[in-house]
Amino acid sequence: MFPGIRTWWQRLVTPQPEQTPEIDVWRLHALFNNFKRILEFNNAILEDMARMERALGGEYIFDRAFLETSVSAIASKVHHVTYNLNALTANRYIPLYDRYQEIRTLLDDILSGNVQALAETAVLPLMDLGWELEPLVGMDLVCLAELRHHPGIQCAAGFVITSEGTRALSAPGQVPTIAARTRITFEEVRTGLAQQLQLLLAQHPRAPFSVTVTRIEDEEEPVQEIGRFVLTPCPERSEVAIVPQEPLFAGSLPLTSTTVFAHWPSERTTEPSPANDSLPVELLVHCLEQIAQTTAATLGQIEHQGATPFCLFVRPAFPAVLCGNVQTRDVQRLPFDALSVSAHPPEHETDNDVYLLRRTHPFELLQSVIPPRPDGRRFAGNRLATDISADQGQFARGSALVDLPMLRSLAETAMLLERLFGAPLTVDWELLADATCQVTRIRPLTISSAEVKEAANPVSASNQEPAPILCQGGQMVQSGVAAGSVVHVTEEMAPADFPPGAVAVARVASPNLTPVLQRAAAVITELGTAAGHLATVARELRIPAIFGMVDALSLLGQDTEVTVDAGETSVYSGIVDHLLRYGAREMDLSPLDREYRMLRRLLRFIMPLNLVNPEAPNFAPQGCRSFHDIIHFCHEKAVDELAHFQDRRSDLGAIRTRLMALGVPMDIRVLDIGGGIAPDAGREPTAAHALSEPFALFLRGLTHPEAWTLEMPALGVRDILAGMPRSMSMLTTPADTLGANLAIVGRDYINISLRLGYHFSVIDAHLGEDSYRNYVYFRFAGGLADPKRRQRRAHFISAVLAAMDFKVTVKGDLVIGRLKLVELPVLRSALVALGALTAFSRQRDTGLYSDADTSELFRCFADAFLDDFRRPATPLSLGAAA
Amino acid sequence: MTTATGTAGSPLHILILDDEPIVCKRLKPAFQKMGYEVETFTDSASALARLHETTFDIVITDLKMEGADGMQVLTGAKESSGTTHVIVITGFATLDTAKESYRKGAFDFVAKPFKLRDILDCVKRIEEKRRDEQAPDAPLTV
Repeated sequence: MFPGIRTWWQRLVTPQPEQTPEIDVWRLHALFNNFKRILEFNNAILEDMARMERALGGEYIFDRAFLETSVSAIASKVHHVTYNLNALTANRYIPLYDRYQEIRTLLDDILSGNVQALAETAVLPLMDLGWELEPLVGMDLVCLAELRHHPGIQCAAGFVITSEGTRALSAPGQVPTIAARTRITFEEVRTGLAQQLQLLLAQHPRAPFSVTVTRIEDEEEPVQEIGRFVLTPCPERSEVAIVPQEPLFAGSLPLTSTTVFAHWPSERTTEPSPANDSLPVELLVHCLEQIAQTTAATLGQIEHQGATPFCLFVRPAFPAVLCGNVQTRDVQRLPFDALSVSAHPPEHETDNDVYLLRRTHPFELLQSVIPPRPDGRRFAGNRLATDISADQGQFARGSALVDLPMLRSLAETAMLLERLFGAPLTVDWELLADATCQVTRIRPLTISSAEVKEAANPVSASNQEPAPILCQGGQMVQSGVAAGSVVHVTEEMAPADFPPGAVAVARVASPNLTPVLQRAAAVITELGTAAGHLATVARELRIPAIFGMVDALSLLGQDTEVTVDAGETSVYSGIVDHLLRYGAREMDLSPLDREYRMLRRLLRFIMPLNLVNPEAPNFAPQGCRSFHDIIHFCHEKAVDELAHFQDRRSDLGAIRTRLMALGVPMDIRVLDIGGGIAPDAGREPTAAHALSEPFALFLRGLTHPEAWTLEMPALGVRDILAGMPRSMSMLTTPADTLGANLAIVGRDYINISLRLGYHFSVIDAHLGEDSYRNYVYFRFAGGLADPKRRQRRAHFISAVLAAMDFKVTVKGDLVIGRLKLVELPVLRSALVALGALTAFSRQRDTGLYSDADTSELFRCFADAFLDDFRRPATPLSLGAAA
Repeated sequence: MTTATGTAGSPLHILILDDEPIVCKRLKPAFQKMGYEVETFTDSASALARLHETTFDIVITDLKMEGADGMQVLTGAKESSGTTHVIVITGFATLDTAKESYRKGAFDFVAKPFKLRDILDCVKRIEEKRRDEQAPDAPLTV
């Protein structure tokens, strides 16, 4: 009965071939050339993007010209993709040109050193800073903000006024111009400041505020701290003292050396309400204005060349019980590869402990220098100075100010910051009365060139006994040297179970490993691409990373101590000190290099893929925020256009597809977009004519005799009633749901949309020369039986996919499986099995009355087809279907 | 680690010239790590002056620079010492410039961006060539 209804309805809603004029051949070719060119350009752009990303990881020696030519080449291709999509869709996506132009302009601005256009917010919490704001706030603050992803010590809470904010604050009368490409006004900054100050005052009404002034984007240094002040209110709250904390200098002139008082600016508002006990916000805003204006004036005196960018970091200055700093490289104390931690009570700077720890996990304590202290004084752990009962051999630490766990925590945090910053640092810390430890600021550590030379002396390095190499090869993703114990990571491992500072070794560079990277010293995988998501994260975190290292899991045993030199793609046995000293070697590209910073800024508008869900409301030209977004959008819309081609482009006539002669009870029409079908195939190609390897593999499974069961399951009335709304809905959606099964095939690519009965499946696959780009995507939905049985069929399919190592998502009767980053034979076998599954699973839902039926169905399929999958298929002699 | 040697067992002496400091900054320590003696220049006039003062075993020069370009440096290096090997690096590689470089006696032509390993291998090949040429049983060339 149902096939009859279906045929009748199909005739009613679908234009019949004889009613539609055939499309001109040249128009057809032009149309599909657009599609093909989108695919080709997308691949070329992805390759260009991958090359830029790899350059960030230190793989290439490059210069500024490389950045300019790369941006120009990618932009030109993105423009072509935009053009081709509009040509394909009769100009349905014209706003894409605007998005393209806006992003292109931003990239040109970055190349020319103009970062004003990046500024959208002038005042924002430190915790909200991301790397995209680095040009406006400096690397030091971005690194501090990155601690929010770290399980250890956090940074002090506060807010930041960006360089665009201080620019506006320093020149109250200046009106932003279009030429300046900034929208930040003086009043906007003041409003932002008031909001942030109110938030801080609500939590800490009586705390003084600390203000750090940092000059950014200097020719030689990315950041330079030039002033620090504490804002201390007088008891009556009518004025605030701006007290300079250190004699800091901007060039040769002191920024300021004397305390000044900011008075209530009577011309603006009324006096603060006495009912409110907190500091008046307006007065604090006025203090920050004064600091910004003084700084701008001083820098202007020195440089005589326009405004020098600087930013302000404002935070509550809580009373600390201990403070100090970590110097992440202590070259004075060679031969140790050590860092030093200093600690003293705030009021007694000379009463200073100094501890030396190793720079690698577990940050072994090497030396403690502790001055004599009076009897009766209590120290770390509330112990008396003379009490050594709890010492346990830890260098008589009864008199130490800081206990060992906190020292290690400080060391780990400081080393993370050094890795992010790309250079040795001084990290200031405070221990507050509530036992909270926080990092308050970081500064580049000045090491004399002689010290650096000695620390990284190539001759002394060459004199070292060479360490045995445990594993070598693969692709360098992020250069650098790190050491630690090997931990084998599975996708099931909870990130919290990964020991901080260990070396992560995994089978596949899966995005699921991202949280582990926050804790790892280095990462090694057997499979993975330097263009993948995890590679991007490794570069962002600057974690030494090698992907594609064959047999890494077996060669690098669990808990083995190793040293990873990612630049050399080598893993050495044990902790190799001289290699670790080379960790900060000058040949590595680092954030201190202008080219590195510029490349990272450019990639912010090229690489990120924000538009991932085609169903989301923002999946539109206006939602594109990067070139990757634009080309992904174009690809999705181009595929969608082909899927709906006959429906949307009736003006062009009928699509010239060919019906495959497969010898099975199923019609598939094929559209060859280049190299997919043999030229001599004629009007009805057979499986033997498939030159496309993924298509041939799929057909091999689809046409397998065992995949077809001739007896149809009996439908009960309940099944028919349950299926009615779905089937009527399908029938009234012509091209999408009731058109012919369509296979778009290219030499390495297939996109097959199938409607088998009331099931819908999509197979999208790429099998090319670059194994890292290969994938198989499978989507299955629909069915006629009641929901419970459709769900059982979904479980059956998901079980089959899982058995083939697909990553599977099930939502109701929708099953989505993805398989990538596996060897080519596995992908080949998967495509054969999917072909068989397509035939085997049609209307299987109607026979699934119990979970036992599902298990039985899986057993049948596994016996027939998954055994073959377990013995991966050999490369096809193309066209040889089984 | 093998010792990189030039004439009479001394370390190979390398001059690097590129008007982009980042290239010199990254290449210098890489070659030093291999045991070579390295001098870097970011302007061709200073590099040419230095070439007149002393003999280098290897010159690595950018092609497109203000003042004397890489071709002139290549010629100058060859004039100052016939045994100097020159590697030309450029971000604007064309077949014509490559041909001209080889015609003027360049040992190799490397397009930017390049992998550190590529240029280290190139220098290794020069080192092996020199070793072969200096070997006592090396065939005489006429």
